[in-house]
Amino acid sequence: MDEQLVSKVLILDDSAQHRDALREFCDANHLVGLKVRKSRLMSVLRTNIDLGAIFFSENYALTPEESAELAVRIHSVRPELPIILRRETAADFAGVPDSLRRATCAVYRAGDWTRLKEIVDHHIFSLYYPCELVRGISELTESVLAAQFPTLAVNWETPCVVRDRVIFGEVFSLIPLESNWCRGYMMLQTEEQGLLDYLLRHAGRTEAGFRDVNNLLAEITNLIWGGFKNRYIGDGGAALRQVQVPLVVNHRHKYISFGSDNPQLCFLYTLRDEECGQEIRIFQRFVFNLNWSPEDFKVVLHAGDSLVAAGELELF
Amino acid sequence: MAKILIVDDSSTVRDEVAGFLKAAGLEVATAIDGKDGLAKIKADPGLKLVVCDVNMPNMDGLTMVEKVRAELGNKSINVIMLTTESSPAMKERGKAAGIKGWIVKPFNGAAVLETFKKLAA
Repeated sequence: MDEQLVSKVLILDDSAQHRDALREFCDANHLVGLKVRKSRLMSVLRTNIDLGAIFFSENYALTPEESAELAVRIHSVRPELPIILRRETAADFAGVPDSLRRATCAVYRAGDWTRLKEIVDHHIFSLYYPCELVRGISELTESVLAAQFPTLAVNWETPCVVRDRVIFGEVFSLIPLESNWCRGYMMLQTEEQGLLDYLLRHAGRTEAGFRDVNNLLAEITNLIWGGFKNRYIGDGGAALRQVQVPLVVNHRHKYISFGSDNPQLCFLYTLRDEECGQEIRIFQRFVFNLNWSPEDFKVVLHAGDSLVAAGELELF
Repeated sequence: MAKILIVDDSSTVRDEVAGFLKAAGLEVATAIDGKDGLAKIKADPGLKLVVCDVNMPNMDGLTMVEKVRAELGNKSINVIMLTTESSPAMKERGKAAGIKGWIVKPFNGAAVLETFKKLAA
């Protein structure tokens, strides 16, 4: 697996002259550029595509006023997404309507890739995630999913950094992660029907309901959480920490807030039934909203780790 | 017939482990957390083996084991922990409470069946 984190950016920029250079910039800076038709823009923003930011040209709409109005609408729908403004000649907000200025987070002049790189590093890749952590999460999650869904093929995409807070699917789990180097949550999000189908087709069930789906997702969450703790937290996570912040879920907008603007670490796993082609998608997000100190991150080594594998009995 | 009590708050795990052991010819009972487990252990003097999770609501598995030892003394109940935890400190706490073994999930029935049968006999 490629351990380099990527981030998806929505490119709202029609300049043919700028397009190729922007594509090269994205390739060189671990960004996946996505384009969308103007007519579908707002509906795409309301769906879950795990965005990290929006690249917005001041000439995207027909007039500066219309561009400003569009940026404001985007910002109102997805206020958590940084909108990065490209200008033709100016390198700052001079002359930009106030409304557009308020909706965007930063500005760069066309062709000034050094400045754009600074903006991307500041607004998207602002948290450092150790490669060992990213790789380890994928490995242990794949191991859990393979054990829990032995008849399905497990695949995953390159992990990405996301800023949006849109909830995928219909069912999700949350579990706290507490250590001396991180505090936050792991969240699994998926669709109900795929797990129901699995229970009925592959798990020998004659009937299954949403509670069975909940229980299955809870157990997967528990197994991954246990693996994470054993590998990265050990006995250092037991200290009592008092600080908490409210989590807010807005069902109407399928939106969850952890009270922090920090980018989230996102993984997507796909469980595929090779016989019928059906897939279950599981989004896994790590949200270190209460503490993130990667300089203290380390892999926990237990004496005797090599002697007792998961599933085997260690007799005392 | 040898009887085993499965204590786990996850119905997915209870179903999986109980289903495997029943298919292997063992008699199985289940409990949904440590509190329920403690009550069922007290109520069944013939119980020989308990397979117990650690992280559970109401009462965790290690506390349950400690209460079993404290309240039932040297009664010969074998306890195996089946958990995602592998912390040495937790294992030491379990050992001090007299547990017989520790399994890190996921459950691999074939690897432990014979031992379970001996401990439940």
